[in-house]
Amino acid sequence: MSVGNGASRDSILALRGITKTFPGVVALDGVELAIRRNEVVGLVGENGAGKSVLMKIMIGLMQPDEGSIMLGGEPITLRNPLDAIRNGIGMVFQDGSMVPNMSVTENLFLCHENGFSNLGVFSLRSMRESARALLAELHLHIDVNLPVAEIGPAARQMVEIARLLWLSRLYGRDNPVLILDEPTTVLADKERETLFAILRDIKKRASVVFISHRIQEVIENSDRICVLKDGKNVTEMDASDARLVRIEQLMVGHSFSADRFHQDDQGAGGGKEILRVENLDRAGSFEPISFTVGEGEIVSLIGLVGSGKEEVCKCIAGLEKADTGSIFLDGRRLPMGSPSSAVRAGVGHIPIDRRSEGLALMMSVAENVNLLVLNRLKAGVLLSPARERKNAQHWVAECQIKTPSISTMCANLSGGNQQKTVISKWLSSQVRLLILDHPTRGVDVGAKDEIYKLMRRLAKEGIGMIIMCDTLEEDIGLSNRMLVMKDGRLMKEVDSSPRSKPSPQSIISLIV
Amino acid sequence: MVTGKQGDAVNGQETRKRQARKGQIPPVYLTIGLLVIVTLLFFLGNRNFLSLYNINTILSFSAILLMVALGQMCTIVVGGIDLSVGGLVSFISVIFILLIKPMGYLAYPVSLLAGVLIGWINGNILTRIKIPSFIVTLATGGILTSLAYIASPRPVNLSPSLYSVVDLLNGTLFTVSNVLYIGVAVLLLFYVILRFTRTGRNIFYLGSNIKMSWMSGIDIVKTRNIAFMLSGLGAAMTGIMISSIRYGGDPLVGNAYVLNSIAAVVVGGTALTGGTGGVINTVFGAVFMSLLDNGMNVVGIDQYFQQAILGAMVIISVTLTFDREKTPIVK
Repeated sequence: MSVGNGASRDSILALRGITKTFPGVVALDGVELAIRRNEVVGLVGENGAGKSVLMKIMIGLMQPDEGSIMLGGEPITLRNPLDAIRNGIGMVFQDGSMVPNMSVTENLFLCHENGFSNLGVFSLRSMRESARALLAELHLHIDVNLPVAEIGPAARQMVEIARLLWLSRLYGRDNPVLILDEPTTVLADKERETLFAILRDIKKRASVVFISHRIQEVIENSDRICVLKDGKNVTEMDASDARLVRIEQLMVGHSFSADRFHQDDQGAGGGKEILRVENLDRAGSFEPISFTVGEGEIVSLIGLVGSGKEEVCKCIAGLEKADTGSIFLDGRRLPMGSPSSAVRAGVGHIPIDRRSEGLALMMSVAENVNLLVLNRLKAGVLLSPARERKNAQHWVAECQIKTPSISTMCANLSGGNQQKTVISKWLSSQVRLLILDHPTRGVDVGAKDEIYKLMRRLAKEGIGMIIMCDTLEEDIGLSNRMLVMKDGRLMKEVDSSPRSKPSPQSIISLIV
Repeated sequence: MVTGKQGDAVNGQETRKRQARKGQIPPVYLTIGLLVIVTLLFFLGNRNFLSLYNINTILSFSAILLMVALGQMCTIVVGGIDLSVGGLVSFISVIFILLIKPMGYLAYPVSLLAGVLIGWINGNILTRIKIPSFIVTLATGGILTSLAYIASPRPVNLSPSLYSVVDLLNGTLFTVSNVLYIGVAVLLLFYVILRFTRTGRNIFYLGSNIKMSWMSGIDIVKTRNIAFMLSGLGAAMTGIMISSIRYGGDPLVGNAYVLNSIAAVVVGGTALTGGTGGVINTVFGAVFMSLLDNGMNVVGIDQYFQQAILGAMVIISVTLTFDREKTPIVK
């Protein structure tokens, strides 16, 4: 614990001994965090380690039970987010916190337009001019008249960053503290680079707290890394000394085996054919594509955003309609554009956004797990509560879903356990082919490992899988075979058997 | 171990909630408490409030409101709303009486089917032409009110020679009005449909997350149509009951049931955002609304004040019953 008085002397913002208790659980236990001028601090920890509570305290959404917040050596009290903004502390939320149908300009100055007011009337012209100047400072080229809904997630984040910088200047703070909560999750690779370039730039006049589940990214783009575990500081280190494996160990509390994707369990794949896609074509999305997936095989679709891989998967799951071509499952032709036929045939789809597409969040774990198999859980014509309970308990145990009970609301589970609930929903339905769209997104390291293991087991049971992952390493590590797509075309098929995994570099050269 | 740690975090959250609740009284008891207090006040105002006769009256009116409220609840749980129940109750009330002359007892099933059919039409305009249920039912409600007027511009009375047909509902068994038995039977029907059938569960899945439901292969057109058909059925039940009790139909009688049915649903604690709620909640809501309505008349509260008091009580009781945990953002 190197954070003593020495660190806080030159720090712009220091959290000292922050403790936050909720009845029954200590969310934060004497946490120390010092942020120096012109510094990027990476904050890492598993889901539930206390990162989000700490952030909420920093922006005044929650008040600590004990401990103090020091701004430039003076203790401050943050009663609400406005207090925080006045003190130059602001947060860019993962999923954005702007008004989608208002323009970039309006969002930039939202609720702080008084400076543009002339006898109570806002001058839109001067607002637009200031907006352009503000964005130009960050080397951003965004049309300030567009509604925020139309500018894409990357640009939205930039606008939020610009807004925070502007606000801190408005309130006369020369070194604001920006908190970025998993900013890269919603970004494509290229946009990520842009974001980091901008971070390096704003570092000259601000400090940044950077939260991400991608540890490598944190190591590369932070000056210092702070690891939280179970609501306590575990350690703090300079990013230059940090190693991925070491940080993961600290976060989880035990070390990973060298075989992080469990390649030793990887089957041969290419058994009996489950899925055959023939000359599937959708104008504007992808050109005619043909491939197969065999029993127990994990096939990874690789490509940038716009490569057409998402659309291919959506067509297989029946969520979109292809123009021509056919899809066969176990030799039987699937009707196009009908999710219910796809589900009945045995195609499962684990969507990228589990909260809005994968779960009934307000309903219980049992109700979510049983969704697809209610017909099997009947006694006579009516549903049998006993059978429902039994099925849910079986799958909760099978997929190791950590939940206080099967009647707990899904909204109260952690990201990893929510994801396991979605997976178990499909497993209970005797699925033949599972499409996993970024299965480990927003899931902490420990739960990631459990999902990998689960996927290996499914493969052993003969389920075919199509995966699209967060990182190339994950794609390579998990798959038997990779299909590389670019601009809607299938470029190459790459073998990825356990003993001869291709290097990420060789794949990157294919996709760009 | 990793996994243990996560489990603890979840457990922690749960205990936090349980303990937060421990300090206060659970909402169910609060609402029952409110019911008891209101009952007591009315009883002090007029000892006849708790006479056997009046209790029977309150419960009968509860049963009548409950029918339309249960249907309304289905459309609200599925994520919509049915504003046409007012027009539908009026329409059924009139045609039921008019149909008794040519059809006799057949007027019952025909009226019920008409209600279901109108619900089906509402559902299809929503699901196939894709117009929000709020607008669809606002419009069809107007059309139905007109149809009720066209069928009979003024209240229509049943000729005394045909009273025997509606005495099916007006009769009593063991001194309890038949309306109550039928109310309980329909209540059980809705309970079973919503709790123990796949369709009923699908109504909740849809209200909770419609995109997920579609992606999981649930027939969202069918499910929403059924929810609106159930609403049509409930409203038709109410129309038939009212006409039977009055021995006559009235093209205006349904007007009050649009807001009263929605109030009964929300007073029971169901969120207008969909996905939550239940039959028992709505029973509570219907009884509460009927009890207030009756009690204010029994103790002789000025007619002009009654709506204001009813409004205030709706706010107070929703304050107690509404599950804010399941509805983080209140619109």
